Parts: sequence; structure tokens; C-alpha cells
Amino acid sequence: MQIIASGLIFGCIYALAALGLVLIFKTTEVANFAHGEMAMITTFISYVFLSKYGFPYLAALGLALLFALVFGIVVYVLVMKRVQSAPHLNQVVLTLGLFMIFNGLAGLKWGYQPTSFPEAFHGDPFKLGSIFISTNEIFTVGLTLVLMLLFFLLFRFTKAGLGMRAASQDIMASELMGIKVSGVFMGAWAIGTALGGIAGMMTAPVTFLSPNMMGEVLIIAFAGAVLGGFNSLPGAVIGGLIVGVFENLVSYYVAPELKIVFTFLLIVVVLYIRPQGIFGGAKIVKKV
Amino acid sequence: MKQLFTNRKPWLFLLVLLFLAYPFIVGQSVYLISIFVMVCVYAITAMALDLLIGFGGQVSIGHAGFLSVGGYTVAILTTKLGLPFLLVLPLSGVITGIIGLLIGLPAVRLSGNFLAVVSLGFGLSIPQIALNWDSLTGGYSGLPLARPEWLSNDSQFIYVIILMTVVIIWILHNIVKSRLGRAFVAIRESEVAAQATGINVPLYKTLMFVISAFFTGIAGGLYGYWIGFVSPNDFSVFTSFLLLGMIVIGGLASIPGAIIGAIIFTVLPELTKSLIGLTNIIIGIAIVGIILFRPNGLISLLEMFRIKKPSKKVMDEQEVYLSDLEQGGAARDANV
Amino acid sequence: MLTFKDVTVKFAGVTAVKDLSFEVPQGNIYSIIGPNGAGKTTVFNCISRFYTPAAGTIDFNGKNILKLKPHQVIHEGIARSFQNVELFAKMTVLDNLLVGLHPTLKKNIFSISLNLPSVKKTEKESIKKAYEVMDLLSITDLANEKVRNLPFGYQKMVDIGRAIISSPKLILLDEPVAGMNPVETKKISELILRLKKEMNYTVLVIEHDMSLVMEVSDFVTVMNFGQKIAEGTPQEIQKNPVVIEAYLGEVEENAQIV
Repeated sequence: MQIIASGLIFGCIYALAALGLVLIFKTTEVANFAHGEMAMITTFISYVFLSKYGFPYLAALGLALLFALVFGIVVYVLVMKRVQSAPHLNQVVLTLGLFMIFNGLAGLKWGYQPTSFPEAFHGDPFKLGSIFISTNEIFTVGLTLVLMLLFFLLFRFTKAGLGMRAASQDIMASELMGIKVSGVFMGAWAIGTALGGIAGMMTAPVTFLSPNMMGEVLIIAFAGAVLGGFNSLPGAVIGGLIVGVFENLVSYYVAPELKIVFTFLLIVVVLYIRPQGIFGGAKIVKKV
Repeated sequence: MKQLFTNRKPWLFLLVLLFLAYPFIVGQSVYLISIFVMVCVYAITAMALDLLIGFGGQVSIGHAGFLSVGGYTVAILTTKLGLPFLLVLPLSGVITGIIGLLIGLPAVRLSGNFLAVVSLGFGLSIPQIALNWDSLTGGYSGLPLARPEWLSNDSQFIYVIILMTVVIIWILHNIVKSRLGRAFVAIRESEVAAQATGINVPLYKTLMFVISAFFTGIAGGLYGYWIGFVSPNDFSVFTSFLLLGMIVIGGLASIPGAIIGAIIFTVLPELTKSLIGLTNIIIGIAIVGIILFRPNGLISLLEMFRIKKPSKKVMDEQEVYLSDLEQGGAARDANV
Repeated sequence: MLTFKDVTVKFAGVTAVKDLSFEVPQGNIYSIIGPNGAGKTTVFNCISRFYTPAAGTIDFNGKNILKLKPHQVIHEGIARSFQNVELFAKMTVLDNLLVGLHPTLKKNIFSISLNLPSVKKTEKESIKKAYEVMDLLSITDLANEKVRNLPFGYQKMVDIGRAIISSPKLILLDEPVAGMNPVETKKISELILRLKKEMNYTVLVIEHDMSLVMEVSDFVTVMNFGQKIAEGTPQEIQKNPVVIEAYLGEVEENAQIV
């Protein structure tokens, strides 16, 4: 029980990161391999606010998210916008290039020495039923749930959400219908980066703050996103939770070092049975 | 096609000559020789990866995993079973090819980003498995291996590497310009039409993975023999990214492109070594810059140069074609 | 030669083709016409085995082709072109045609890797064959052009060329003159007639362009809403009131839109 609960808690972080990935992919069709590094930089920014300027946690979080929104927009406008219609491979390699730049810059500025990062709430774990849980973990889960809810409402019921859904279906038609596609894409990058940033700030207390902290998280988040079908937002959340639990089970029952190996075996098995992921839509047969 | 091919022959010849002469040019410099070996290893891998990605359109972001498999294969077969070099080196390709088959079988059902993530998982898993399978791989401390007596000298072994590189360039060149290569490109361009022309798409996709893994395994084997030691940290996910960068920077679906990319991305980190912490940034900027400004890779510079002075005959054809284009284009517009 | 018997195709509950039966005799040019959405291309996609009918059988020379996979169909001697040209866009015209020869070539990976004389010889023969086809279509000048740079009319030609290069027994042409101007249409209809007269091919055509259908067809089947509503010689079809109502009416509507 405890293992599953801890798995779900870390799964929330994967889910947040995966949600950002899928949001960007669903609207702009770019698989952003620099997602984790952008989250890492956001986390460093929040750390600067926290430690250097002594802001309270929530204020630092807010400011960092503001930064993430701008960061996402800047990356989109300066770089990604120009390869919107380029082959997917070019886009993927481009984000890998950004990955290296961000990783290098962070290393240059803040060094590769891991630093401890504060939790949102301190306090010893307490017992809830048969499982131990800390205030900070409750905060993580709560924040994730609130964000997801907010997000689904936004996507489903606002005009911006409608624009995003439309743009992801057909860029040209959306533009003809008066939707500003580049604005929508900008929004997706901004919100996606912010979601990643939150995931980063939730990760940092566990893994310590360093330029390489998000590498593994991103990869597992990718796995979760793929499991969920890669273009389904609820799929990303559930996929993230599944890999979180699965990874924790493997760590406990097999070996912690092999969690990535097993997670990917899971992915291969799932995709072999359902090539479009658990929540991916039916495979579209190309009309000829 | 034929014209281009005959144009390419002197280039290839020049390349081979340069390869053969290199050890003489740099003399006994161990440093330059070892960079050269890495260029060869990465060039073979990049070409093999290009066969899969550039020609076949199947993404792999875990190719460093195959390099590791190749390296470990030679180490294990030499150290644990005492097999001779001439048997081990081909076996490093065969065994890696079999792993490629195992990866390829599920991969044929996947496309695009799904395949990317699965291959990434493979690339991440191999070092982890190597790290944890102590009895076979020596775990964290790795495995040492020795070259046979007659190749123990580096200046002898480098000719094995050169020979292998040249032969593999030739074989891959033969494959991509043959019916197989055409079938791979056809799958990349349209799976529906490929099927309609009788191409067994799942079979050929698996075949691509096997061929690509085979040659990558040999590159890994050569690397293992060269260094005389394999460990889990030899090739990381970072290496996979770099390989991907090589073929995109050089120019996809081009063997010379893959070689150019391999040279640049082997030499560039060496040049920037002194600027600690800047290596990643510089490589990253190089990737971003080239994708933004030369999306068809550096090889497209060469092709631009070629088009600048076409022969008289080609010029005439060009004109005929252009006038056709205007008429036909107008007809199409009218109907669309 | 090709026999459809009570073929029904359904997509997620929608019936695209219902109880369709017809037979294409050898050496004929057989046309299927009908308004948009009548299920014509679905018929082709069943023959190409991209779709599998919910009921019914499709036999080719007495062999049940529903047992085949898409890539095996051409080995039986059935080749096709596509409505919206499915060419290999970044390959040259020559290479596109050479891919069309794929089923006829031996694919021994070792002799290919080493570029043995046997491979060189068959490659040379293939290229010769490709040039013959290009001559037939008068597109020889474009041999080394990338297909995506060609105007649509030429792409259609290459698509047809790719279908005929492997010398199939039956050629399926999906709207061969859609998007072509009258001059190009004339060229294609001459080509189709030559395929039949000089090379003894059997051709199954789906087409909107009535002038082409009336000119080349030996026999016409008319479909509407997935069902066969009439069949006969072009002359019979032109007079058939059901066809005029269903099909020609739609053409007028179309004309107004254009």
C-alpha cells in the first residue's frame, strides 16, 4: 500500500511533466525533448528567488511560473516557430539541441554540484490510514489535482481552449476560421513550460537541484505520455501515474537500478498490444 | 541518377585515399590517431543510423545502445570464450543485429514519436543492464579485452579500422542505391504506395533495423578492440543525441552527409575541450543553427554548388521542364 | 477475370458498399462511375486489400484475393494508381518507376551489398525498362526530376507509369484525369486505349470525367450510395434514366459550384 501511495505521489510529478509535453505536442505536433531542461531552468530561477532574495515559497513559485510562461513563449517565437512546417525529425533534433544548450548554460551559471531545494511545507510524515504521508506530499498531490482540474476546465470551456483544440486538428482551417494559430501555439508553449516548471519544483526536493535533475524525470514522463497515447491529456495524467506506481513497484520488488529498463519493457508491451497507446484515438487509416 | 553517381566516384576515391594516408600525415601522434579512430567509429554508426532514419524514415534515439552491445559482444566473446578476432568482429555485428531484430519487431508497429520514445528507452536500458549484470559484463568496473598478437600494435590495428570503414561505406552505398534502398525510401515517403507496389512494409522495416544494428555493432566492436576496455559509461544517451545530430547536420539520406556530420561532431568536442562547460552549448548552438538556417544539412551546400554549373544538356531539359511546369501548374490551380 | 460477389464494406456502422457484384472480363476497359461518396475508391481499396469487406468475395482469375496482404496483391498481377497520387515525393521519376519494378527483382542482401554482377545486370535492365515506360508516357525528359517538383498532371502520369511498369494483368486507375486540363485528359485517354489495344492489358477505371469514360470504356457500372444502380455499355448508360437522375444531376450541381 505504502509503495503504491508513494508511487502515486511521484506519479503526480510525472503526470504534470507529461501533461506539459502532451499539451505542446497536441497543439503544435512537436515532441519537446528540451521540456525537462526548461523545467530545470525554471526551478533554478525559483531557487534564486528563494535563497538569494529570500522570497516566501509561494511567491517564488508564482514568480518562477511567470518566468516559465515567458520562457516558453520566447523559445517558441525565437526557435520553434521557424520549424513549424519542417519535418518532425528536424523538430526533434532541434529540441535536442536546445536540451544541450540549456543544460550547458545552467551548468555554466549554477554549476553541476547538487544543492538541496526546500519543500513547500516542512513537517514529519504522519499516518493516514495504513500509509505514511508528509504535508509536502499532500501539497504535491493537491496542487497536481487542482492544476489538472483548472486545466481541463480551461481546455474544455474557454475560447482559448477551443482555439487550442481547433489548431491541433487543422492549422489552415483554424486560421481561416479566424483563430490566431501562432497565438495558440504560443499559449501552449507557455502553459506547457509552466506545467513542466511546477514538476521541476516538486522534483527538486527529492533529487536535489542540479542541471541534470530532470533528465530521468523527463524520460519517465515521456514514457507516461506515450503510454497514455501522446495526444490525450487525461491519458498523459493517467500514464504518468501508472509509470510512477510501476516504477516504485519495480524499485521495491526487483532492483531500483532497473526501474528504467522495466518501465520501458512495460511501454514496449503496451504499445505492442495497442500501438496508439492506451488512450490514443483509433489509428487513422490514411485515405487514398 | 547515373550522372550523379559517376560524379560521386572521384569524391569517394579521394575520401578513401585520405583515409589511407591519414596515419602517415599525422605520424605518431597518438592523440590525432585516436580522434581519427573515433571519427571512423562514429562515421560507421552515423551511416547505419542514417540508413534507418534518413532513408527509411524510422526514428531511433537510442542507437548508442547498439554501440554498447557491439562493444560488450567483443569483450565477452574474447575474454570469456577466447574466440579469435576474425570470428568475434563479425559476430559483434551478428549479435547486435539480432538485438536489432528484437527491437525492430515491435518497432514496426510504431511510428514517429512512439518509436522515438521506445528507442530512447532501449538506449537508456543498455547501460543499466550492463551495470547490473555483473556476471556477464563486469558491472561498474567493465571488461578488459586484448587484441590478438598480430594486431597488438595501434599502427597495425588502425589499418583494420580504416579497411572496415571503407568496406562498410562501400556496402552501405551499394545498399542504398539498390532496390533495397529504394524500398526503404519508398516506405519513408508513403507506406500505402509502398505496399501497393509490393513492398512488404513490416519486413523491410525490420530489415532496416537489423542492417543498421549490424553495422553499428561492428563499429562498437572496433571501438572495444581499439580501447581494449568496455564499460557501461562508454556510450550514453548523450551519444545517441550526438549521433542524431551528426546525420541531421550532415544532411539526411546522404552517406557523405553522415560522414561529414561524424567528423564535425567528433572534432568539435575535442576543439572545445579546453573551454570547460562550453562543449554542450557549442554543439547545441551548432545543431539549432544548422536546423534553422540549413535544414537540409551541410551536404546541401555541396549540392548548391553542383547545380550552379549544370551541363548544357541539363540546362535545355531544365527549360523544357520549366515551361511544362507553368502550363501544368496553371491547369492544376484551375481545378483545385 | 476479376469477380466481385455480394461485397459489403462497413466503416464503424456506416455501409460504404452494399452487396456489390460485377465482373471485369479480360482484355476490357471497365469503368466504375458514380457521384462523390458512392464507394468507388472503397472498391479499389478492397482489391488493394487496404480494406477488408464485411461480407462477400473478390476473386481474381479464380483465386480469392481476400486472403492476401496488401503487398502480395501485385504479385497476382494487379497494380493500381491513386486518386490523389501517392508517389514517393522526394524520389526522382526514374526511382519511382524503379520501385514499381520491386516485385520483379531478386532481393538477395549479400549480392546487393557486394554489388555483384547479377545485381548490376538486373539494375541495368530495370533502368532500361523504366525508360521504355517513360517513353510511352513521353516523360523521359523528367527522369531525374524529383516528383514533388512536377506539376500534378505529370505526377499522375508517373503514378500510372509506376502501376504499368511491372507488367500486371489488371491495372486499376483511380480517377486518372482528375485535376487535368482537356489536353492532358486527351493524352490519358489515348494512353488507356493503347494499353488495351497494343499491350492487351485489362483496365479498371474509376472516373468522374464522362467524356473519358464514354470514349474508352467497353463496359460501365454505375454506383450510388454504395450500391450498383446500373450497368451496361457506355451507350446504354447514357440513355438510362436512373443514371441520368442520380449521376448527371450531380454533375450539374457540381458545375454550379465550380
